[in-house]
Amino acid sequence: MRTLRLLFIIGLLLTAPLTIVSAQDAAFQSVIIQVDGLSCPFCAYGLEKNLKKVAGVGSVDIDMKAGQAIVQIEQGVDVTDDTLRQAIKKAGFTARNITRK
Amino acid sequence: MYYVWTIVLAVGLIAATGGVQAGPITFNSALPVSEGIGILRSQVKLVRKSGDSTVQNRDLAVTTVPVVLAYGASPKLAVFGVLPYVDKRMNLTTGAARIQREAQGLGDALFFSRYTVYQIDRPGDTFRIAPFAGIKTPTGSHNERDASGELPRILQPGSGSWDPFAGVAITRQTLDWEFDMAVKYRMNTEASGFSFGDEARADASFQYRVFPRTLGGGGVPAFVYAVLESNLIWNGKNRAVGAADFNSGGLTWNLVPGLQYVTSRFVLETAVQIPAVQNLNGSALETDWTWATGFRWNF
Repeated sequence: MRTLRLLFIIGLLLTAPLTIVSAQDAAFQSVIIQVDGLSCPFCAYGLEKNLKKVAGVGSVDIDMKAGQAIVQIEQGVDVTDDTLRQAIKKAGFTARNITRK
Repeated sequence: MYYVWTIVLAVGLIAATGGVQAGPITFNSALPVSEGIGILRSQVKLVRKSGDSTVQNRDLAVTTVPVVLAYGASPKLAVFGVLPYVDKRMNLTTGAARIQREAQGLGDALFFSRYTVYQIDRPGDTFRIAPFAGIKTPTGSHNERDASGELPRILQPGSGSWDPFAGVAITRQTLDWEFDMAVKYRMNTEASGFSFGDEARADASFQYRVFPRTLGGGGVPAFVYAVLESNLIWNGKNRAVGAADFNSGGLTWNLVPGLQYVTSRFVLETAVQIPAVQNLNGSALETDWTWATGFRWNF
């Protein structure tokens, strides 16, 4: 009985982080933006800062090699493609394809 | 004269076709600035000049620390302000004695803006053309004195004059390399009966990513660039009370090897300007070397 209780607690501890991650996934929509013209690390900061200014954007990850900005948008907040394109234009780049997951 | 331009053009073409990239070190007018982003840049620049053929046997040491602030007013318009601190020391022989004359203080501030008129963006690749224009303002003192009297104008921290300038910067940047070119003309005006000769420059910079050799997936890695720059600088003759000084001005061509460490928030850079050609008038001092090292910070 004691062993079973211990296994239950260990199982709970192991699965808890997964539950939190999946809850976070559910709270955000992932948007991948292909950014043309992004070719140096120093310029990436302006892109990240301008995207983070958009209301509803939680986090921004830049993939230099792929030329992508991966944006997490809060569920329920309407951030249009046009808004994202404008933010990228303000950073001095050109948005191409926008894919929502 | 013609062969100098040919060499500069050849270096530029070799650089452009050789494949390479991060922002010029010895000229800053092609700096990319996003809207709402500020960039703070500073350098320590040491210049040594000698080669005086007169009995004075002058040598000059100049230390300059310019602080540059850039701001992206719009995606295409960037404004810049440059405020330098200068320390100038000249050793010279007067009679039987070797003396030093010196001046320190704020130099002349520059203000200019740059507007991107042409831009082509492709995946991992951009090409931009941006004219710029501005003015050098007389914030530095131009009437400093020491025990021997008023210092010569080349030793003064400032020129005392309002000097407009204009030019155009061209940048091609890829993930692996970057090539920048800028041409600039500055019209130096008169102050207190003296004017420095006008200045025309043609600058080129080629930067090649040497680390990491291959880009991994994800994130914004730090890059190390090997840099080779070229500065072709023509200075007109100075004029004092309307008369040209035939021991001033001339043509200089510098080759500038350097290194840059570039992250998304800051850049560290260093370069040595080596004069390859100095065709100077009269007894104008020749530059032995110039060393510049500094940083840029995004905020």
